[in-house]
Amino acid sequence: MSKITKSSTAEYFAKNLQQVGFSSPLKAVLTTLKEAVDNSLDACEQNGILPELSVEIKKVGNGSSRNTDLIQIVVEDNGPGIEPDDLAKVFGEYLASSKFGRGQCSRGQQGIGISAATTWAQLTNAKGAFVTTKTKKMRKAIHGQVDVDIKSNVGVLRNKETIDWNKDHGVKVSFKIDGRIQLNGDGGLITYLEGTVLVNPHLTLHYKLMDADWVHVERVTDTVPSVPEATLPHPHTFKLGEFITHATLFGKISLRKFLKTGFSRVSEQAISQFIEKGLPKNLLEKPITTLGDADFKKAFQAVQDSPLMAPSTKSVLTVGEESLSKSIQRLGEIDFFSVATRRPSICDFKPVVVEVALARFMNRGEGDTPVQLLRFANRVPLQFDKSGCAITRAIESVNWKTYGLQQPKNSLPLGPYVFAVSVVSPFIKFKNASKETIDASDELVDEIRRALIQAGQRLSRHIKKEFKEADLERKLQHIEQFGPILVEALVRITKSNDSRKKRAEEGLKKLLGRDSKDAEEELKIAESRLAEQKAKHAHIFGEEAAESEGSSEDEGEVNESPKKSKANAPKKKANKK
Amino acid sequence: MAKLLKIRELKIDIPKEAKALAEQMLSDLEKSKRPVLEAVKTSLDNSFYEPKIGYLTPGDKVVRTELNVSSVQKLARVVFILEIMLRNLDIGAVNTKRELYYICKGLIKGEKNLKPLDFEDQVESDAIIDFIGDMLRVYREELNCFANDRGGQTYSQNLIVTETLLDGSKAVIDLSTLGTAPFQPKNKPQSLKLKIKKKLDFCLVIESEGTANTLQSMGFTKRNNCILIGAGGVPSNGVRGWCKLIQEQIDIPIYFFGDLDAYTMQNIFRTLKAGSASSLIRNADFSAPSVRFLGVLPDDVKKYDLPYYNVKESDPSEQRSLKKAKDAIENDPFFQDKKNKGLTDILRWLLKEKIRCEQQSLFSVDPKDPIKMEKIILEKIKRGSYV
Repeated sequence: MSKITKSSTAEYFAKNLQQVGFSSPLKAVLTTLKEAVDNSLDACEQNGILPELSVEIKKVGNGSSRNTDLIQIVVEDNGPGIEPDDLAKVFGEYLASSKFGRGQCSRGQQGIGISAATTWAQLTNAKGAFVTTKTKKMRKAIHGQVDVDIKSNVGVLRNKETIDWNKDHGVKVSFKIDGRIQLNGDGGLITYLEGTVLVNPHLTLHYKLMDADWVHVERVTDTVPSVPEATLPHPHTFKLGEFITHATLFGKISLRKFLKTGFSRVSEQAISQFIEKGLPKNLLEKPITTLGDADFKKAFQAVQDSPLMAPSTKSVLTVGEESLSKSIQRLGEIDFFSVATRRPSICDFKPVVVEVALARFMNRGEGDTPVQLLRFANRVPLQFDKSGCAITRAIESVNWKTYGLQQPKNSLPLGPYVFAVSVVSPFIKFKNASKETIDASDELVDEIRRALIQAGQRLSRHIKKEFKEADLERKLQHIEQFGPILVEALVRITKSNDSRKKRAEEGLKKLLGRDSKDAEEELKIAESRLAEQKAKHAHIFGEEAAESEGSSEDEGEVNESPKKSKANAPKKKANKK
Repeated sequence: MAKLLKIRELKIDIPKEAKALAEQMLSDLEKSKRPVLEAVKTSLDNSFYEPKIGYLTPGDKVVRTELNVSSVQKLARVVFILEIMLRNLDIGAVNTKRELYYICKGLIKGEKNLKPLDFEDQVESDAIIDFIGDMLRVYREELNCFANDRGGQTYSQNLIVTETLLDGSKAVIDLSTLGTAPFQPKNKPQSLKLKIKKKLDFCLVIESEGTANTLQSMGFTKRNNCILIGAGGVPSNGVRGWCKLIQEQIDIPIYFFGDLDAYTMQNIFRTLKAGSASSLIRNADFSAPSVRFLGVLPDDVKKYDLPYYNVKESDPSEQRSLKKAKDAIENDPFFQDKKNKGLTDILRWLLKEKIRCEQQSLFSVDPKDPIKMEKIILEKIKRGSYV
């Protein structure tokens, strides 16, 4: 019989990096960037700091493996900084996280990502992460190289030195890894950065990719989103095994206390219900450490059979329609857009909130190609394997033709649009450890679908107005173009004289004039509906919209591009550093 | 140029009628009144079937096109093409639809203000040409617009065709002298006169031209006193008019032999026998109501143990034709008439069994006998095994 050995967590991940986003040279670069940015943003948010990030990615040589380049990825933030003692843990140890299983809507959850990036750098370039850190309390910054000791899953800080750093606090991390760079498209770096910009209106980002100039994107809100308090899990989301494991975290307390303190929505009243559903009363006061599997099973079944209040939705956070509206304009010149933030709701017993932004851009996308889809889970862009994702499913299930978009059957709609859909929940169920696809449960797909429909209705107001404009123009054009041809041909066939021709032309103008008047009326109605919509949601779109008259029971907010108002022009600009 | 031969005795004078229509439109415009054009509605819901007449005839429904901002383009196009056709009639020029499409393009290219009329593809100009025919209630051949002579290769040892040519001279074609070459009927069969050398027994129309050629090569018309035609799929106007001519001028039974499937029954056989909904105004001269369905019959599949396929419901085209068959039973006046019950029963049988059996499957009955198909066909005619 072969010897059974135990391997460390680090060993496991070192062998299975493809599971956490390092399955190809392209994905390695993107995942490394993503993990570093996620950590920076989470750290800033938790400390109430408005994040200002700087990202630089360049090719610095040839990679050690075939068909790869050596890519340097540098991410610098203005976060609180990491205590020197924690450096090795954060970058070099798996599952060392401040967020593991806490039930918070933070970007990172388990503490795998950045350690995996260090491992990848180590595997492909023999050097881990280079980190500079400074906290408020430190006079000088600490710089060093962090490696993962794969055998023991411990981070090791090497070449530690103290340096001057012209910054109050922050972290700068640099990786050199084997990889390849893709800028555009679903898995592109620009797509990632734009996505991150979109759902983080409070972020100021500077980035330089390869030989391109530095791009500066300013924040559009000065409010740091407050990440809601962690929430306890709802018992109905548990399986028996998880239930038992969860109990081991609580030590020697009674079952009653465990149920009440380990879960949300378990009250005294709920406990009496458990008893009604077959939970033996005597078990309640027994310490959970003395309970056998059979006892746990009894308790678990009684809990599952009892109706419980749905979990609280206080633990989710939203970007908000106002911020989303401002943020989307940072991606380029917009024709018009609509946003919809749903109220937090419960899907599969987990609190969840869905936000949607739909925008038509002036200089991106084409009429007959599918819309660009930006998916987000807890404000992190998802860029791979879109077909199986709950978000994609939901979009495909909506009939976009109703809202004036073209759409092949069961597919994404077509056109120069960006569809951004964000799902936030403390317990998002991903299909894989690399967090690329949200599991498509029926309830979640339905909730996303509702948000999309809401945003779609809002968008259609604008498309309708545009359609009516085009209709009027077409009709006017028709009269000008075809009228004379028709009359002239009739005159030729009947061999009529000029005076008949003139009379017929006048008659024709009169007839068609009546028609175009109708079209003008229709356009006016469409325009006033849109104005009413804008007026109702003036708080989102600023004063310009507030000036519009009237208000009605409209469905939401669509707005035209601020291209007409220079003050609001997109704040994205490029210049040389 | 000599005047073309008339297809039928037309009650109207096309140029005169067209001018009257233009006159009406112009005078409406002068009075700021919206001109209206009306055309026969050529669809199944406006089709009627009377067994004594034998083909689909149009009802009272019309397509009305009233001038407004949306229809002004269509009306301008109608008048534009009408003018071209009137000119063709005047000088005796003929064209196919595709040629007319290019004539339009040529004229439009030459004049800047005509540019908005331009046709993006032939479908657009075809629709206008059809509308003009349906509006004047004339065949497009009567507007000097002809279709390609497709299908209808004909063999016989005893048939003589006399064709009246444009200049009034006559060409006499004895089909027995053509060797292995077939006679190809024109899509204006009314210019042909038929004569037989001796009394013929029957006319056989085979759906597949290839199979008709095989039968001929194996001596079918030598052994049988008959006319043999290959339809070539959905019968063209040429084939339909040709069969009608045979029915009128030589009084012999006509049999059709093709695949046993919903498509053949509705699109090929029904069109040959009673015309189609889209050609309502021309079915009188372009259908042969006496033609009978010789096979493949459902009974043949059993009797001769013919190989067949199960209709794949996953195949969109097969599914479409099954759906059409269902529609036909419910809505097509031809299949609803009790005179055609035998044919409708075949459709029902096809819907129920969901199989299809091809005409060539007869070659499986006795693979070593090259004329087994001929033998089966003759036996079926003799037995009266047809619908």
